[in-house]
Amino acid sequence: MAKCTIDGREVEFVAGTNLIEVAAKAGIEIPYFCYHPGLSIVAQCRMCAVEIEKMPKLQTACSTPATEGMVVKTRSDRVRQNQKSVMEFLLINHPLDCPICDKSGECDLQDQSFKYGDPYMRYTEERRTYLDLDMGPVIKKNMNRCIHCTRCIRFGTEVAGIHEMVAVQRGSNTEITTVDGRPLETDYAGNYSDVCPTGSLTLKDFRFRKRAWFLKKTPTVCEGCSRGCNMEIHQDANVIYRCLPRTNMEVNKYWLCDEGRFNYHYVNQEDRIVLPTLQAGESYQPTDWNQAIDQAKAVFNGKKLAILVGTDLTNEEAIQLQTFLPKQFGNAPVFHFGTPGIASTQDDAPADQILKRKSRTSNLNGFEKLGFKGFESLPAGIEAVLVIRGGRAEIPKFAAGVKVVGLGVFHTAENPGFEVVLPGTSFAEKDGTIVNFEGREQKLKRSINPRGQCKQLPEILMMWMNRGMSAGVAS
Amino acid sequence: MAKILSQKFYDEMNKLVPRYPTRVALLLPALHQAQEEAGWLPSEVMEEIGEYIGIHPAQVREVASFYTMYNLNPVGKYHIKVCTNVACCLRGADEIVEHIEKKFGIACGGTTPDKKFTLMEEECLGACGTAPAMMLNDDYYENLDIKTIDQLLDGLK
Repeated sequence: MAKCTIDGREVEFVAGTNLIEVAAKAGIEIPYFCYHPGLSIVAQCRMCAVEIEKMPKLQTACSTPATEGMVVKTRSDRVRQNQKSVMEFLLINHPLDCPICDKSGECDLQDQSFKYGDPYMRYTEERRTYLDLDMGPVIKKNMNRCIHCTRCIRFGTEVAGIHEMVAVQRGSNTEITTVDGRPLETDYAGNYSDVCPTGSLTLKDFRFRKRAWFLKKTPTVCEGCSRGCNMEIHQDANVIYRCLPRTNMEVNKYWLCDEGRFNYHYVNQEDRIVLPTLQAGESYQPTDWNQAIDQAKAVFNGKKLAILVGTDLTNEEAIQLQTFLPKQFGNAPVFHFGTPGIASTQDDAPADQILKRKSRTSNLNGFEKLGFKGFESLPAGIEAVLVIRGGRAEIPKFAAGVKVVGLGVFHTAENPGFEVVLPGTSFAEKDGTIVNFEGREQKLKRSINPRGQCKQLPEILMMWMNRGMSAGVAS
Repeated sequence: MAKILSQKFYDEMNKLVPRYPTRVALLLPALHQAQEEAGWLPSEVMEEIGEYIGIHPAQVREVASFYTMYNLNPVGKYHIKVCTNVACCLRGADEIVEHIEKKFGIACGGTTPDKKFTLMEEECLGACGTAPAMMLNDDYYENLDIKTIDQLLDGLK
């Protein structure tokens, strides 16, 4: 393997790798703003300039590939002086409003100013300010904080495939904007905030809700579609505040779509049914677990039953159900369901050019591998249905007169018209395995405790068994 | 969307298509041609250009706002662009700008109420050897002083 020397250490590298990455592999940090491994290289922030032997001027590490025998210094006086100057320059117009900025605590500009900048600044003139136009429901812009790194523009054109975010005017008057404050069109707008190294583009969804340093982070997988993008859930005091993408070059690279990013809302939603509940006319009546299970059994008693299992459940849950369901309900037909029109992996296909897939549940492939059959319509003569799901599988419409019991995550706003709801857990409240469209097994990790009296599926099944014998269903 | 640009615009552009390796390269000539028709570039026109070339209207805006020769606001009959870069500045461009501002009672970037004059600062006109310089519509005027400016502007109808 080719070798070069960085700060006196011999470092191996793969030909073509730029100095930032080579140094990072060796644990040497080169600061940068405009560089992003998932975007093209423009070398315009100048923060990553390093000293290379036999080169008269400092070179930007992001745009310089390492070569055999190269001798690089990232901590020399010249380099440090450059870093100080660049920081001073970038902060000339920056409002330094960190105390009220959402990015504070996880801001590249803040961190690197602290680490590489000079606490003293010579600039005393008036700072340039902007009036900010809106950018739609996802992103809040604050142009005063911008350092013109153009990461957002490059994300738009190179990844999202739309040139909607642009830099108008030029020089120090440059402004990042959409046309006349039009809303962003891409379904991946949240990433604009992720790539921003300052607080210029922040998520409206997260705005002023929590300081970054209070958040506990759990690595998990998105349940929004059959791709299974890797992400992190950020929570505090059992409340989820946001989901951010986690880098996985083989699945989602650095990105996450808005649907997946904001999918978590249903977990905390006000109208989620978090207590065992019986239907009472138009409304729902909370009750206790024993009564709810008794009532569910009474609903099924003597009726011809079908069972629908959402493909938003994990493999572990699916396997437990495979043992439980035949024991309790004989040979009542069992189907998996999730997205209307996507009854099998045959129907699943990319929904766009980037990440999204047509199956809007995460474990379609897993259920199919375990031998579950896809749901198309209820067999003739079915009088009652047991619907088991996470929070995302779309509940089919049933004919009037079919009695339904729900087990899992449901909302009163969905108005499912269920006889009984046994509250279960969402993807954020349990551990488990899901299988994405390529057959890649990935782990859901529990980040918060179940809300209210919601219980894990195994516990509910156990309670069901302990409340007497089989429901005595006609088969 | 109803077309604002004339058939002539489209004829001219279609003639230019084979000249460039990519279609996006049509953007600058398209903006020039469109500005010739309307005198400036309203957003509907930029939208139409984007549609014709096949790029997002934001990209048209990005380019049009970068160059000072494209007018994003209506301009008067006489468009005065005074160079205020180093050489002209050293030779009194600031005084010239100030003088014109006072003369017409407008700020830099503004237009007189009778829509006759628009005053703007311009970046380097490349006439450093004959500084200070300015453009009046498409013509250069060099070696300026306040007297020649007054003569020039007063003679305009």
